[in-house]
Order: sequence, then C-alpha cells, then structure tokens
Amino acid sequence: MSEQVHTSSSRRLSLAQRFLIQNSNAIAWTLVTSAAGTGVFIAFSVLPEPYIMIDLFKIGLLPALAIITTAGAIRGPLAGLLTGYLGTLLYGLFAFGTVVTLSLNAVGFGIMGFVVGLGHYDFNNGRSLAKLSIVSSIGLLLATLVVVAIGLTVEVYAGLVAIRFVMLPLLTEGLPSVFLLTPLFAWAWLFLYSKILSRTG
Amino acid sequence: MSSSPRPSKFLFAAFVMTLVFGAATFGNLPGPVTSTGSQVVNGVVFNFADYPSLTHEQVAAFNYVRGLVNQPLERWDGWNIGSGVYYLVHYQLAFMSYAIERMFEVTSGYRTSYYSDVAYNLVKKMNTTEAEYTNASIESMEWTRPVIGYSNWTQYYYPDPIHPDANDVYTGGFRGPANIMWTGHYALMELLYERNFHNSTFYDEYSWYMQDWNNSLTTDGLGHPRASGIWECGLIPCQPYAIWVQCNTIPLYFTELYDNLHGTDWMETGMWDYGLNFIEANMTDQYGLYTDEYFVQEPMGFHQLGDGPVQEFPGKRLDPYVNDGRPLLEGYGVAWSLLFIEYTEPNVTAEDYPVFLEHYSKDISADQLCMIDTYHNPGKFDTYDMLCNLYAVALAQQMGDLVTRDRIANFIYSPYNKVWSADGRSMHWDTTAVEPFLQSSLAYGWLWATVPVSVKALADARPADFWNYPYISSADDDNIWIYQAQWDPIKQGFVLNVRVDKTATLTFSNFASEPTAYSGGYPLPPLTPVGGSDYALTLSPGTYQLVLTTGG
Repeated sequence: MSEQVHTSSSRRLSLAQRFLIQNSNAIAWTLVTSAAGTGVFIAFSVLPEPYIMIDLFKIGLLPALAIITTAGAIRGPLAGLLTGYLGTLLYGLFAFGTVVTLSLNAVGFGIMGFVVGLGHYDFNNGRSLAKLSIVSSIGLLLATLVVVAIGLTVEVYAGLVAIRFVMLPLLTEGLPSVFLLTPLFAWAWLFLYSKILSRTG
Repeated sequence: MSSSPRPSKFLFAAFVMTLVFGAATFGNLPGPVTSTGSQVVNGVVFNFADYPSLTHEQVAAFNYVRGLVNQPLERWDGWNIGSGVYYLVHYQLAFMSYAIERMFEVTSGYRTSYYSDVAYNLVKKMNTTEAEYTNASIESMEWTRPVIGYSNWTQYYYPDPIHPDANDVYTGGFRGPANIMWTGHYALMELLYERNFHNSTFYDEYSWYMQDWNNSLTTDGLGHPRASGIWECGLIPCQPYAIWVQCNTIPLYFTELYDNLHGTDWMETGMWDYGLNFIEANMTDQYGLYTDEYFVQEPMGFHQLGDGPVQEFPGKRLDPYVNDGRPLLEGYGVAWSLLFIEYTEPNVTAEDYPVFLEHYSKDISADQLCMIDTYHNPGKFDTYDMLCNLYAVALAQQMGDLVTRDRIANFIYSPYNKVWSADGRSMHWDTTAVEPFLQSSLAYGWLWATVPVSVKALADARPADFWNYPYISSADDDNIWIYQAQWDPIKQGFVLNVRVDKTATLTFSNFASEPTAYSGGYPLPPLTPVGGSDYALTLSPGTYQLVLTTGG
C-alpha cells in the first residue's frame, strides 16, 4: 500500500506504473479501491441530497461526485475511471433498474476520475490538496461536456433540456462538491490510513 | 507517513466553506413517510400498512390548492394567469379536480366540508359565465378568447358553418355539442363529486350531458339514427371542425362511471363503439399510438402550408415539423388518452404504454426521465413537452411503474424550491423564476402523480353499503392532518391515522352504537354523543393511530 499515496516524482513511469497495475499486488489494490469507491459512491447517491434553487441555479453538494475524484487521487486513473463508470452504471441499475444512454453517461464520470488520477498528490500538503481541487474541477468540467454532448447527439434531447436539466445542475452542484469535498475526503482517507498503519506497526 | 497527518490551511478553509455552503443549501429534502403500525383490538389485528395513506406533503399540497380554489369565483389570486395561457385554465380546474378526487378516495372515511367545498367550488369556477364574470370567467378564457385553433368558431353549424339550412346542425356555443374539451371535463367534475359525496347536487345537469352525447354519437343531430353520429366519426369535436382522442376519453370515462353509479347501460348500447374503432383506424401513427387532431372538415381561415403535402379534409392534421405527410403528434395526448381509456380498453393501454415510453422519453440521468411532446422534433422543449411529463407521471403511477413515475417526478420537481407557509399548513413549489403559471399545476400535480389511487380506480362506484359506513362528518379541519381514515367493513373498525396540531374535535356519523377509540390496543376515554348517531372525539396535540369500533 505504500505506493497508494502519490508523491511528486521526476521519475518517468511506465503506463502500467502510472495506472498502478504493474504487478498482481498493484492490480489487486487498484481493483479493491475501485470496488470500495463504487460502493461508497452508490451509498452516497442513494441518500437524499439537499439543495436549494436560486433562479435557474441548483446549489448544493453531491458527495458522490467527490468519491470518484478521491478514488482517482488515491489509486490512480484506472481506479478513478472504474469508480466513476461502475458507480454511475450500478447506481442506475440498483436504484432505478436502468442504464442511461447505453452507459455512455457513466463514461463521462469515469473520465472525471481518470483525469484526476493522472496527477500526483501529497494529501498532507495544502498546496497539493489545492492542486487536487483544481484538477477535480477540471475533471468535472470534462465530465459535464461529455454528458451534455452524449445527451445532445446520442440521446437527442433538446438543447434547453441539456442546459437547464443537465449542464447547469452538474456545474452548480458538481463544482463546489469536487472542489471542496475531494481534498477533505482525501485527507480523511490519509488520516485513517495513517492510524491503521500506526496500529499495525 | 510515519507521523499523524496535520490539516493544512487550505484543508481548514475547505472544511469551513463546506460547512457554510452545506448549511446554506440545506433544503428540499423528501418529506416524511407516514408511519404505520399495527394494533390488536378485541382480538382483531389492524395493520395500518394494509390501508392506503396520504403523506404530510400531499396534505400540505392540498392545503395550498385549497387556498387557490376557495376564493370568490371571479378571483384568481395566486393562479398567475398570463395572457398566453387563458386556454389552459379550464384544464387546470379539471385536472385539479381529478387529482383531489383521487386523494379523497384514499381517506374515504373523512368527508367533511374541508374536502367537499374544494371539489364543489372547482365545479362552480369551471362554469363561470362571461355575462356574470366578464373576462374573469372560464367562458371567456376557454371559448371566446381562445389563443389556439382558428377564429370564428363561437357560432357554428355543421356541415355548413356559414349558410346553414334545415340540414345543418347548430353546434356552436360554450356548452354546445362541439366543445367537448369543456363539456366533458365539466360533467366529469360533477360526476366525480357525486361519486365521492353522494348528494345528487349535480345529477340533473350531468345527466343532460349524458343524453346529449348519446344524441351526438348515435344520430345525425336532426333526430335520425346514425351510427357514426353528427360528425360521422363516432366522436365529438373540441372545436367544431376537429376531434382529439384525449378529449373524447373524458366523456367515454364519464359514461363508464355514470353506468356504474346509476345502474344504466349506456356503454352496452354501443354508443362509443364506432368512435373507438374510428380512433384505431384513423388516429394512430405507425406504432399504434394516438396522433394529434383529426379534421372532420376544413376550418374557416385555414391556410395550407406553403410547400409539402396538401392537408386533406377530412383527415389527420399533417405535421409541420417534418412536412412530409406524416401526422402531427402530441405525447401529452397519448399519455392522457391511455390514462383515461384504460378502464374501457385495458389491453390497449397495456400494449401501448411501453411503446409510448420507448418513443416519447429521453433519459436525463438514472434518476430523471424526460417525456417529450413529439418524436418528430425532440429538439424542442415547451409547454406541451411539460404537459407530456405531467400526464405521463400519472400514467406511470396507474400502470404500477413506480420507478418511471419517480424518475419523471424528479425531472418535473427537482428544479423548484419547496415553500412552506408560515403556519406550516401548506406547501408549494416556487416556479416564479421559470413559469409562474406552472405553480398551481405542480401543487395539485404532486397529488396527481403520487396519491395511491389511480384515475382508473375512480371509474368504479363505491359499494352501495359504503354510504352506511361510519365516517368523519365534521372536524376542526384546520387543526389536523388526516393521513388515513376509512372504515374496514370486514374487520368492522374505523382506521384513523391523524396528526393533531391544536386540540381538535372530530365528529363521527353512522356508528350503530357508541364506539370506542383504541390507541395501541388500549381504549381512550369514551366519545361524546352529540345527537343522532353522531359521536365526538376530542384529541389533544400529537400523532395518533386509532381504531374505532363498537365491538368488544
């Protein structure tokens, strides 16, 4: 698990190392992290999410989105991709018995986790956490673009629907969620992890 | 990693901002579910979960609707009626009526003026005339100031509208035979009032419509039998020159309920057979789903499209979106029709419902589904698309497809804040930032979408003995929330789930002898006789699940 927290490094990493699948142990931890992230994502998604509307803007926090980015930050791009994709897909299946637009929507959220996972972060460093917030926000913007593009071209719903019911809520709830909650979740994970390490010697 | 991690300034700032942001945006959570327990009274188990119930939010939404309706007939405070929506107001009244009548069936043992006044006032508001209430009347908004259709159709003869002779039938007038989009709703509102309150208040008037529709559908309007009726399609127009399936499902549904209430056999005479066959043969698309209007003749003032196929009369209205000879579509009409036609043609609704969802829905997300007005033009989203969502949500509820119902409801309601009144008695969704007129729709729409009694279920009359069952005939309605109230004729007990805000008295009628109220299986202090077969129960503030019975 020591490689789970990425630290800044000038070493050139192979693709397998970057995706944290360079050996069977790394693959196992990446899959475990993805599975755990997917489970927590679904649990957060099922819970009612408070929000308020200010004119057309839906304002609130969606902790589930920050689970995707946190998974990517902890265990790399593949874990972020799997958590975002599987979490979104399985939540739809479990909670509503549906797969939205051939699961392409879920790909959008997978991309968010993937993008965040490409970076290296020190969860005990404020500047690095700020970087994590910014990269998470960029990932959210990319996810929004993908989801809206799929809605307009594959699902083929109206532009007004895309803006009002998809893009605006994703941005006005998603951005504060991933910006604020991702560093909190990441640090909380680091804190728990250090406690576990100290107990196990 | 050897030492315990320490929070940085950035982390601390993120934490504080999360707390502030979360607290500032904490709202719009789902309302509480109605708690249901069970109790044993005289050896009989009463499980409250076995009986239908209302939620706190449903009652609060009704209270908001009640405030809108219970004002002088010419007053429309809070309805937000802009000049472009006059033609929709009478639909608001009709579907508001259907929504609350379904709600009343959930708590069928609670029949005080708290419910009946709203239903009665809706009927009266629906029938406001221009002579008495000028521009504030429904006659003005629905009939003489239409912003849809074509002009010059307030006075009309068929088939020659302009130079009638003895062979032409007068079909004009607000209450005339060619305004089924008002007469159908008006009569059904009256009939549902009779179904739920049983006092013959409107019997003569709605029975007149029953006769009139039979005349329209089975004669030429001049006294001669004709199976295809006046308009030779077995259906009744909304505007004198055009028919819609959904508008005809209202008098069709009315006929079923009329027969069930009064023991008549209008349906068995086959008065609707020609029309139902006509619909299937002439008013469906390639998927078998209903299409938009069908012209029985050319409207006065009609203009052909500049290019593309020529509109034929009679014939389906062509779709200007595609302009290739395909018929005009309307998803809201399909949903409405399937909702009301199911009682008569359950197989049609069962077969068409999944086809309708396949072609008229768009996935927004796992928890949101958006219905559209036409698959010919999915790129638009306007009033009619929103209407499709409002009808489809009730259709999904009726079909028992609660996942789809919830997904559509999420799409409809999630963009609005819940607003509670200062006294906590009423709640609505604030739509003023988007479309103020939608506000009343969403209030009764919540009942329309969620109460556990379907439109179809209301087409059956209550059993004859129902009117002898014990019920709450009067109460301090403004102090209480009735979630469950009904007599169980098998177990011979009255089930009452009530929240009391301030000390309230409820008067029960029809008990054969003095009843005892039980809470948790233990008797409460005796009820007070208040004359005749009436007994009063006084409750102090709290929430109660009670069983009232005369046994033991």
